[in-house]
Amino acid sequence: MSAAQWGGASALFLASAVEWVEAFTIVLAVALTIGWRRASSAAAAALAVIALLIAVTGVGLEAAQADVDRIRTAIGILLLLFGLRWYVKAIRRFAGRTALHDETREFAATRGQLEQAESRAAWIVAFKGVLLEGLEVWLLVVALGRTLSYVAAAGSAVAALVAVISVGLALKAPLTRVPENTLKYMVACAILAFGSYWGLGGIVGERAAWPPGDITLVLLFAVYAVAGRIIARAARMQGSGKPAQARA
Amino acid sequence: MRKLLQLVFGDARNVASVAVALLAAYGISRIAPAASGAVLVLVLIAAAAVQAF
Repeated sequence: MSAAQWGGASALFLASAVEWVEAFTIVLAVALTIGWRRASSAAAAALAVIALLIAVTGVGLEAAQADVDRIRTAIGILLLLFGLRWYVKAIRRFAGRTALHDETREFAATRGQLEQAESRAAWIVAFKGVLLEGLEVWLLVVALGRTLSYVAAAGSAVAALVAVISVGLALKAPLTRVPENTLKYMVACAILAFGSYWGLGGIVGERAAWPPGDITLVLLFAVYAVAGRIIARAARMQGSGKPAQARA
Repeated sequence: MRKLLQLVFGDARNVASVAVALLAAYGISRIAPAASGAVLVLVLIAAAAVQAF
């Protein structure tokens, strides 16, 4: 496996784990309201939709292999859009401008929302929660699947799912000790690095835009990581005293 | 559908930031291709800073 492939697999595993932790919190809250059997069936239904999407997209991308350059450019731009959004969010959280994602609060909020809900409404909350978090995983599998094989990319997401479910079921509590923002920040830097490399490489030509070659990915990751922390520190200093906005 | 689009593309500022960064990098690549990557990175970091403050 090359460095780029390891980078892609690790980014995908970590990003998926963060999304699955958020989904697990919702399912756990629903399970305590309508029971594990029904909550699990909602989660399983949402995961089946995600699995179907991943399979259909994989077949589609396989069929479109002829125009690899265009696919690479499109995926690069998609990664830039996705990565910048995560990057800004993580920086704002480091800077205290946006409240950190708190699994305990999320769990309590979902429980509160479900107190008066009927069983069917609770099932839908679990289904929608897992589906929305899973859609982000699907996007990452599609985008980062190019560095690995598509099957390996999907495998990374499944491995993260198994890890989160195993730990979550063992604890039967929200996974509050996962350093979500740090993970999301690192993944955002990795996604931006891949997006920059492929997006611009597809438009201008990889050799022209990035003369050092594949090693540029490591440099890009480092530049984004350092710059983001500097921005976060400056934003924190400038905004000290201002209350953090609720989660975006 | 709206939620899905937002999930993929983010808000208008996000889309505009990426579009400006790519356009700037493409423009520079016509004169100095090797500098286009640096321009892309700098514009993206500047956009992140603007959005973070």
